Amino acid sequence: MESFSFLEHFQIWLKAYLILSLFSFMYKDNKFYKLSEHVFAGLSAGYYVGLIWQTVIIQQLVNPMFDKGEWWLIFPGLLGLLMFARMIPKWSWISRTSLAFYMGSTAGIYLIQTLHGFILPQVLSTMVSLDPSNGFAATLLALIIVIGVISTLIYFYFSKEHTGFMGVTARVGIWFIMISFGAHFGYTVMGRISLLIGRVQFLVYDWGESIRQIF
Amino acid sequence: MDIWEKLNTIDRRWIYLLMFLSILFPTIFVMKFPIELTPEAEQLYNAVEELPDSSVVMLTFDYYASALAETEPMSIAALRHMWRKDMKIITLSNIPLGGPTIAERVTREIAKEFDKVYGVDFVNLGYKANYVAVMHGLASSIESIFPTDYTGTPLSELPLMEHVKSYDDMKFIYCVADNATVDYWISIVNAQYDIPVGSGVTAVMAPKMYSFLEAGQLTGLLGGMKGAAEYEKMVGALGTATIGMDAQSMAHLLIIFLVIVGNVGFFMNRRKAKDAKE
Repeated sequence: MESFSFLEHFQIWLKAYLILSLFSFMYKDNKFYKLSEHVFAGLSAGYYVGLIWQTVIIQQLVNPMFDKGEWWLIFPGLLGLLMFARMIPKWSWISRTSLAFYMGSTAGIYLIQTLHGFILPQVLSTMVSLDPSNGFAATLLALIIVIGVISTLIYFYFSKEHTGFMGVTARVGIWFIMISFGAHFGYTVMGRISLLIGRVQFLVYDWGESIRQIF
Repeated sequence: MDIWEKLNTIDRRWIYLLMFLSILFPTIFVMKFPIELTPEAEQLYNAVEELPDSSVVMLTFDYYASALAETEPMSIAALRHMWRKDMKIITLSNIPLGGPTIAERVTREIAKEFDKVYGVDFVNLGYKANYVAVMHGLASSIESIFPTDYTGTPLSELPLMEHVKSYDDMKFIYCVADNATVDYWISIVNAQYDIPVGSGVTAVMAPKMYSFLEAGQLTGLLGGMKGAAEYEKMVGALGTATIGMDAQSMAHLLIIFLVIVGNVGFFMNRRKAKDAKE
């Protein structure tokens, strides 16, 4: 491995300090943990403000207006400014104009997106063929999809009491939902372990190498 | 107090310590457990493999720094795979914190391995707020949404961007994400603009993605560190995900052991309480 520069050593040690400080919370709450937490919150907020200012306000609003003469952008700019009226209780009603515009356009965009992107393709994918000539495995999987979809939908149908046929089907639906929760939980555990592995890899490989190079 | 009662009241910090050790040892002493390939990971690999050489593809870095352990190896393996086929790569991030800088660091690091030149072989567009508007906007004009790249260079000065104006000029979108942006790549870009989308996501998100995979809305899927390790294996460049899978397996074995011990302890204590009542 290449030898680290002074700056790289500093970055690695700072990272290691922050990681260990945050991990120390597992033993008990302490000042090191609190400091690291506050540093993270403060840095994130500052970075985000700077990023939005540069990539949205400057690049999308100020530059096109002054460099390209796109003066119509003053209208969305003003709508954005009106949002700040919320901070003054007396004038907060003014911000509703911007909100109304935002909600109207968002509803329109999301309606198409939800229909085209989620509902129709997902409904289509549950309309599977149960023809046994497709083979035993394919038919069985198709059957599981059909039963799973119908029973889960019935579980979430609350306009009729879940008794008799409705009750039995809803209980089958619960099983499908539980299996789904199990898969989600298993994957979540794997994900959280992965995050810890990432930090341990950093401490062992990067910080370990830095310690080796210094001492 | 017998052993089961003691287990019932054990300080959870002992479990944290056991978990830490179960990850630490395989990280130091790499064992290289076998990694089996899943059809969904192979589908993603094949989708990229079947693209013509020198195709233009988009690789997204839609993840925060907190998810690096799972997502960064996916991005690195994807870059290696794409550049082996001499593809032109456009990167962007819909995540403000982490994504743009990770894209910059990772692409430039891997570019050195393949002698790729910034502006000719790859471009990092950076981040822009409101990803729904960004995804719709890129369909008509990339330059209208990203007048400059991540470093502030106007797109008109980058040779690659002379030929790439919108989604129409791209063959594939490879989305690496740790959040809901992948839903939007599928429901907006794939559904409305008909561009194939493949995805590498964190393990937490993976189960949800299977419905998109089944519906054919997603062309291949990598789920968490395991998915990243599979892709590394297929690309033939083992990385941190492959090494991490040893620790992952050990941690899972420990969790299974603790779940069994915990349940046995619960039932033993319950039986004991029942016997005492009688």
